[in-house]
Amino acid sequence: MKILDIAIKDLTRSFRSLFAVIFMFGVPLLVTGMFYLMFGGMANNDTGFNLPQTKVVVANLDEGGAGFQMDITSLPQGTSAESLGNLIVSVLQGEGLTDLMVVTLADSAEAARQAVDSQEAGVAVIIPADFSQTFSALEGQAVLEVYQDPTLTLGPAIIRSVLDQFMDGISGAKITVNSVLAHSQSSDPALIGQAVQQYMAVSAQAQSPDALVTSHAPDAAKQETSLLEQIIGPIMGGMMIFYAFFTGTSTAQTILKEDEEGTLPRLFTTPTSQSAILSGKFLAVFLTVLVQMVVLLILGRLIFQIAWGSLLPLALVTAGIIFAASSCGIFINSLLKSTKQGGVVFGAVLTMTGMLGMIKIFTMGMATGAALEIVPLFVPQGWAIRGLVQSMQGAPIGDVLLTSVALLAWSAAFFILGVWRFQKRYA
Amino acid sequence: MQPAIEVQNLHKSFGELKAVDGASFNVPQGEIYSLLGPNGAGKTTTISMLSTLLRPDSGDALVMGHSIRKDPMGVKSVLGVVPQDIALYEDLSARENLTFWGKMYGLRGAALKQRVDEVLEIIGLTDRQKGRVSKFSGGMKRRVNIGVALLHKPKVIYMDEPTVGIDPQSRRSILDSVIALKNAGMTVLYTTHYMEEAQELSDQITIMDHGKLIASGTHDELVKIVGQMDRIRLTINAEGARVVTAWKSTPGVKQVTAEDGTLNLLVDDSNQVLPRLFDAATTSGVRITSVDIQLPNLEAVFLHLTGRALRD
Ligand SMILES: Nc1ncnc2c1ncn2[C@@H]1O[C@H](COP(=O)(O)OP(=O)(O)OP(=O)(O)O)[C@@H](O)[C@H]1O
Ligand SMILES: [Mg+2]
Repeated sequence: MKILDIAIKDLTRSFRSLFAVIFMFGVPLLVTGMFYLMFGGMANNDTGFNLPQTKVVVANLDEGGAGFQMDITSLPQGTSAESLGNLIVSVLQGEGLTDLMVVTLADSAEAARQAVDSQEAGVAVIIPADFSQTFSALEGQAVLEVYQDPTLTLGPAIIRSVLDQFMDGISGAKITVNSVLAHSQSSDPALIGQAVQQYMAVSAQAQSPDALVTSHAPDAAKQETSLLEQIIGPIMGGMMIFYAFFTGTSTAQTILKEDEEGTLPRLFTTPTSQSAILSGKFLAVFLTVLVQMVVLLILGRLIFQIAWGSLLPLALVTAGIIFAASSCGIFINSLLKSTKQGGVVFGAVLTMTGMLGMIKIFTMGMATGAALEIVPLFVPQGWAIRGLVQSMQGAPIGDVLLTSVALLAWSAAFFILGVWRFQKRYA
Repeated sequence: MQPAIEVQNLHKSFGELKAVDGASFNVPQGEIYSLLGPNGAGKTTTISMLSTLLRPDSGDALVMGHSIRKDPMGVKSVLGVVPQDIALYEDLSARENLTFWGKMYGLRGAALKQRVDEVLEIIGLTDRQKGRVSKFSGGMKRRVNIGVALLHKPKVIYMDEPTVGIDPQSRRSILDSVIALKNAGMTVLYTTHYMEEAQELSDQITIMDHGKLIASGTHDELVKIVGQMDRIRLTINAEGARVVTAWKSTPGVKQVTAEDGTLNLLVDDSNQVLPRLFDAATTSGVRITSVDIQLPNLEAVFLHLTGRALRD
């Protein structure tokens, strides 16, 4: 009971101190927030993660096939297409693609190429006059010409992929056409048109041009958020661990502080056993780090939408981190003579071990190599971040468990040594 | 009746320094007992051993029959300690402090709440109970510091220089509360280097210096050591080796000591001796620049026993 009284007294004091609260919650959140804005800003920047809008000039020279007539209601803007060329133009002008490209029409192949050469457009698509015709022919190979500005990569690639998908679609139609032609033994354009129309209607339903296009845009958007998550999750995790160890050490330092301020000796004059007093102090360290971690996990989720992982692995890892950070704090302080020594020693030790443990985060993934995998495991912070990243990435529970056990082993070693030294000191 | 505190030949050294060198004394129940001594005399070291914070090198003490060596928990349960340096949680309020310390003394619930109210009343801080200790004046902090030691109504209370560094008003109220504690039946072991406090409060006084107890008794008994001697403090305008020699052989002068430019003399009767001192000074070519006469008191006793002034 007295153990709990002492711990609660310490918690009250910790969370009453504005400085401590800023240190425990404010700083990790602020640093994460800074990175969040930095990367989030990049994500909203046109030159950054957003795909560029490409100017496309289309020279549709397709004269169509005799009687080739399509009326596909699911085409963008519900237009009807008299030729395959028209169909392509309609697809490229489709609403879903307006974010990615601006389509203008040219009268001739020459004019289209000219537009690219003069950098008025990034890509020219030239649909030859015999496009529909060749398509209808049994053995024909319909070919589109794509002419692009060689300095551009992303925009033309997108347009190619749109066209590729479209051509895949119509080659499916072509197989239908071929089978129709093979069946009827004649090349009745009307029949071909009908077959294509039927095929397109079905395939458009299955995969409307919208879907075909939007399958790009949301993809990019998804990549954007997950990229932000991939960066911000470990950063916040790293900050949390870094400051959890500081909290553990500075809270454990209240043992030395109380000794110097006379309240610890005074506690020893009350009928309270030495072990109850020290246990109360240790419990306070543990509870303070616990509160800090849980609050930061929740705030990270709420503010930065960080997915910390599922409950069980996260709980395992968090428990491991809390034990490691608090017992490490107890151990470090058990080595110190006074708080004067403490400020310097624990600042230096925790900063160095913290940076070692989270070297991958501090180098922002720019440095690589085997050492970066091994070195962090020499400090508890390395295991802590490893566990947190495992939880975030949904690693197998066995891996997470192993990391947690390693953290507990660190904790046990720190705790036993620290408690032993403190008990000796105040015996 | 068994003494509240029986101190048996306590020794404590810090390296070469003998902080307490063979202390033995008995404190009868219900009395105020003072340890009077200058800085570094060993008062706090004695108190620390008697409150089981420091382990004596040798010797033992019984507090209400509990040995500080064999039964420290028993000692702690009958004991309230007011440490020399204020030991409180400054970021907690007066009430929060008292409540926390009350719990450490094993009080709970309604009894705790009631006792905290009572103690706040005793130390006169009922109005300020919600205020943080860090915002308190030195005197108020001292009062809370004392209040903590009263929570469990201890039989014996140690007060280690409880009036250091505070205004006269707070000091007065603390001295009154010490007397009130005695009247309530408590035994008080009080340390101070203020002669007047020891004189006013104590049933018995022990004078301590350099770890040794040099005299014990009631105030009157102690003053008798110096008999009817008066104490004269003098300052002179020159280096006074010659005049000191002259004064030492002046009739009626019992003792001459020099300390930091001040000369302390113990004399039979200052009215008769003073003119002779002036004559001797004139003969030696020395001018007396100030004179202060004190009637027999503990200062004189301390001076007589140690050759030094109790206060600087
Ligand atoms: N923990 C310690 N380590 C080394 N020396 C100490 C320690 N505690 C006290 N001393 C020394 O022992 C001597 C007695 O100190 P103590 O504090 O008991 O004196 P005191 O009578 O309480 O003096 P004050 O009036 O200044 O409080 C001093 O010389 C002091 O420097
Ligand atoms: Mg002292």
